[in-house]
Amino acid sequence: MAAALHPGASVTAAAERGRSAPVGLAKSGRWSAPRRRDARLAYLLLSPTLLLLLAVLAYPVGWEVWTSLTDLSPLKGGPAEFVGLENYRRMLADRVFWRAAAVTVVFGAVTSLAKLALGVGFALLLARPFRGRVFVFLAVFLPWAYPASVSVIGWYWTLSPPITTSYSVFMGNLKHAADGAFGSGAWAFLSVTLFNIWRGSSFIGVFLLAGINAIPPELFECALLESKSAWRRFWLVTVPLLKPFLALAVFLSLTTAFADLANVWMLTAGRIIFPVVGTHAYWLAIQGGQFGPASALSLTLVPMLLAVLLLLFRMFDPPEREPV
Amino acid sequence: MNPKPWGKKAVHAGLLLLVSIYCVFPIYFMLVQSLKSAQEDVFGHPLIVLNPTLENFEELFERTGEPRGFVGRALRRSYPFFDWLENTIIVFAGSVAITLAASVLAAYALGRLQPPGFRWWRRVIFATYVIPHTILFVPLYQVVIRLHLDDNLLALLLVYPTLALPFCVWILSIYFQHLPREVEESALVEGASRLTAFVRIILPMSRPVIVAAGIFALGTIASDFTLASVFLLSEHNQTIPAGLGTMEVALDELLAVAGINLMAIPVVLICAVFARGYVRGLTAAMVEGA
Repeated sequence: MAAALHPGASVTAAAERGRSAPVGLAKSGRWSAPRRRDARLAYLLLSPTLLLLLAVLAYPVGWEVWTSLTDLSPLKGGPAEFVGLENYRRMLADRVFWRAAAVTVVFGAVTSLAKLALGVGFALLLARPFRGRVFVFLAVFLPWAYPASVSVIGWYWTLSPPITTSYSVFMGNLKHAADGAFGSGAWAFLSVTLFNIWRGSSFIGVFLLAGINAIPPELFECALLESKSAWRRFWLVTVPLLKPFLALAVFLSLTTAFADLANVWMLTAGRIIFPVVGTHAYWLAIQGGQFGPASALSLTLVPMLLAVLLLLFRMFDPPEREPV
Repeated sequence: MNPKPWGKKAVHAGLLLLVSIYCVFPIYFMLVQSLKSAQEDVFGHPLIVLNPTLENFEELFERTGEPRGFVGRALRRSYPFFDWLENTIIVFAGSVAITLAASVLAAYALGRLQPPGFRWWRRVIFATYVIPHTILFVPLYQVVIRLHLDDNLLALLLVYPTLALPFCVWILSIYFQHLPREVEESALVEGASRLTAFVRIILPMSRPVIVAAGIFALGTIASDFTLASVFLLSEHNQTIPAGLGTMEVALDELLAVAGINLMAIPVVLICAVFARGYVRGLTAAMVEGA
């Protein structure tokens, strides 16, 4: 390991042998030969990832952008015609759209906040050692580890039991109470919300636990001397320290909120329609065959999510740390 | 530290109990249902099972067709559960493997080789995570049909890796980027090739982070129901979630719950075995990055 102790020596040695030198070693300039070779190798190694993302995400998004500008429909004979922003104009004039958009934003915000609050609680509970911690940790890990593709089936049919079972009367009463208070479909929507919070809080709890472990404990110990009030310590020390992890956690769990809605929509073969942008778009596309408006509608999610992403990026990938 | 006061301890224990119940209860409930006989399902207590039976699980594997109560034999379908199980194992194992392979390569490129603008590459790749696949399935279906992969497990092997890929590339590349330069250099100086240095030094060092990425990928892939049921149509090609989704739950509620548990148990066990590694790996990546 002598080389490790003298990095300078190893640099020259590597350069003399003509090996591709590690990053940034070519002092002569940014575009030296080894560096260019490195860049070529880098693009080669990136290519599987980029190909997958191009085929599965970029092309479909491009298709949706194009389709949203046309009147493409499998029900209509002949080629699709370019209609410009007509689909968007009609969408913006539609009251249903605004209701769906509002519900989407509220749904995303409420689930994210609830997941964050619970997740922070779980993480703080588990951060300090106590007897039996491993069992509580596994319990907290369980909702996320239990595959949502099947637990959503169980969850949904439990909350709205299809046949007479020992719990269906109780659940039925709950359902009627919720639907009576907020309109039909409210209970189904609420049950998906609860499911998403249940599973997401588990993910965020474990994720933040990992984040707390990454923070040097001295920082928390200093805080203990600074202030006696646990509440003040939480807001003045814990939250700022955890901020990047909180932002990442919200980001990672946000898309699951929409995936869960889609799962239930699919599960019930579209019988349960949520007044949400995503599922409303499926309804247009599959039942109505209106691909153009459906694409326009589902694309409205993307700028919303990108805005959230940009906001969060500033927290977990701050630009000032970049030397370039 | 001096011993905590008694009251504080009790609050702490109470909170722990509450959290555990909150997390475990829905799973307990499903487990109890799957162990019930049809009779107990209707007349028994919702939360406990008095005469646990494995008949629902057995029935999944070999459907005897014994009519249950008022439901006639004619109405009941049999399900190729073995095929579903096999398909699920292939799809999950394959997708996680592809995710890890692609993300390790990409992360090495971004974290170690650092081509010009690598931070932006990483950001763009990570940003793709925000796009819900579920809003894309009409064009995705076209991609799948053009590649002649409809009703084929390969369709899922193409789509699933992209679910977790952005995050896996992100944490792995941040971890690789902050590994000290010397770890590779000493091997390179001694005449090892870049590949050898990677396989012998970098990979073993980053095992916890790779485990974390793998568990994240497994959890993410296992949460998809929509894509599986859109792309896999014929009965024998389905995975467990897609297959269970086609069950007539009004008739086969207990069977469906048994299927849910059969799918969940292996996934949960894998996650539980690696649970500590998952946290350790995330921590390792976070110490460096974020």
